[in-house]
Amino acid sequence: MSVVTRRLLLGAAALGALACGDIASPERTDLYEWRLFVPGVGGGTDTLSFFWGRSRLPVRIWAEDAAGLPEFAQRAIGVWESGFLYREFRGEMVSDSSTADVLIFANSAPNLTLGVHRLHSMAPECSGATDLEVSDDHTQLLVPIRIFIDPVLPEDEPATQTCLALTTVHELGHALGIFRHSPNPDDIMFADPRVEAPSPLDRGTIEAIYHYPPTLEPVRP
Amino acid sequence: MWSCLLLLAAGAHPARAQANYFVRVGAIGASKLLQDFITSPITVKQSIAPMVAFGGSLPVGISYRAGVEATVASGGFHSTENDVDTDLGTLRTGTLTAFLEGPVVERLRWHVGLGGIAYSAAEESGIFAQGGTTGFLAAGGADYRYPVHSGWDVIASARYDYHRFTTDELEARGFSHSQGVGRVSLSVGIARGLR
Repeated sequence: MSVVTRRLLLGAAALGALACGDIASPERTDLYEWRLFVPGVGGGTDTLSFFWGRSRLPVRIWAEDAAGLPEFAQRAIGVWESGFLYREFRGEMVSDSSTADVLIFANSAPNLTLGVHRLHSMAPECSGATDLEVSDDHTQLLVPIRIFIDPVLPEDEPATQTCLALTTVHELGHALGIFRHSPNPDDIMFADPRVEAPSPLDRGTIEAIYHYPPTLEPVRP
Repeated sequence: MWSCLLLLAAGAHPARAQANYFVRVGAIGASKLLQDFITSPITVKQSIAPMVAFGGSLPVGISYRAGVEATVASGGFHSTENDVDTDLGTLRTGTLTAFLEGPVVERLRWHVGLGGIAYSAAEESGIFAQGGTTGFLAAGGADYRYPVHSGWDVIASARYDYHRFTTDELEARGFSHSQGVGRVSLSVGIARGLR
């Protein structure tokens, strides 16, 4: 065996040693409860969960042209998209509300109707609400999902602008499938959101949602 | 590596007659970039991509040559979960290696190299949300040269290279260690010089 051959074999062995071991996935324990618990159709409790399946992407989002909502909505889409590793969610703004999966209105939420589950956010400068309309048998989520964002203080104040921005992200988080509020004030999905972007806990939760089997299927009535 | 580059660029006089330059085009395939598990296994893999390789070499001793080789490849990459593929966009890779080559039999030559690889995704999102990544790379392979004209050879090359892959985004998300990635390429092209 020549010197060169011996060296080549040694090199190949070193390469083989390097090849050992794969990247190790993190333990995904950083998440909070996202499912909605409602009185069961046949008694007991029904657990409702939902995400936009790949066949429904990109999710079409329409925002009323008031209070800067289209810009806030566009930013919120980007914020949530960046939370995913594998493009599980994509959204796009649409100009025709009749084709949208999510509608964002610049006013306070109307009176609640039967079958609608409402999630409120309670920042002082602006209010937000997301209405989730579920079919009587608790198997379908009726789209479009309606979001209401209402500036409580004057729109042009910096604090209101900040509130509108983070509330839009928060409410869109509900429309994406986070059906509950986080108990942690550092999360964007805290009931009174104070941070402007999803925390690692928010990201862990939304990531989990898009990999667990949903109980609701989006249906356009 | 840089001294080789400088010598080649300057066309160092004593070696000018024996300097060799080459360019090849071909295709490259790679093993998985990533294996994840959320509720089921998720694999991220590059698609087979077109590639261009170019470089040059100078004689080292009687039978050996040393040189540099650069490759550029651009293609898609995707994730697979439960047999469902999701397009993750376009991924470009570039490599630069310093290599040594020598004869095997007649027109067949072996090739070993060491260098680096750089990844750049067209879109800074997902596993590349914090940008591309770089790593060390080891390569090996063989070249088959067929003389077609005075001073010109047709060259067919097979390469295997290996590196470890991770990104800043994966590290930020708690992925530990890195993924061993092997790549195989086949290419053909022309070379000028050698004889």
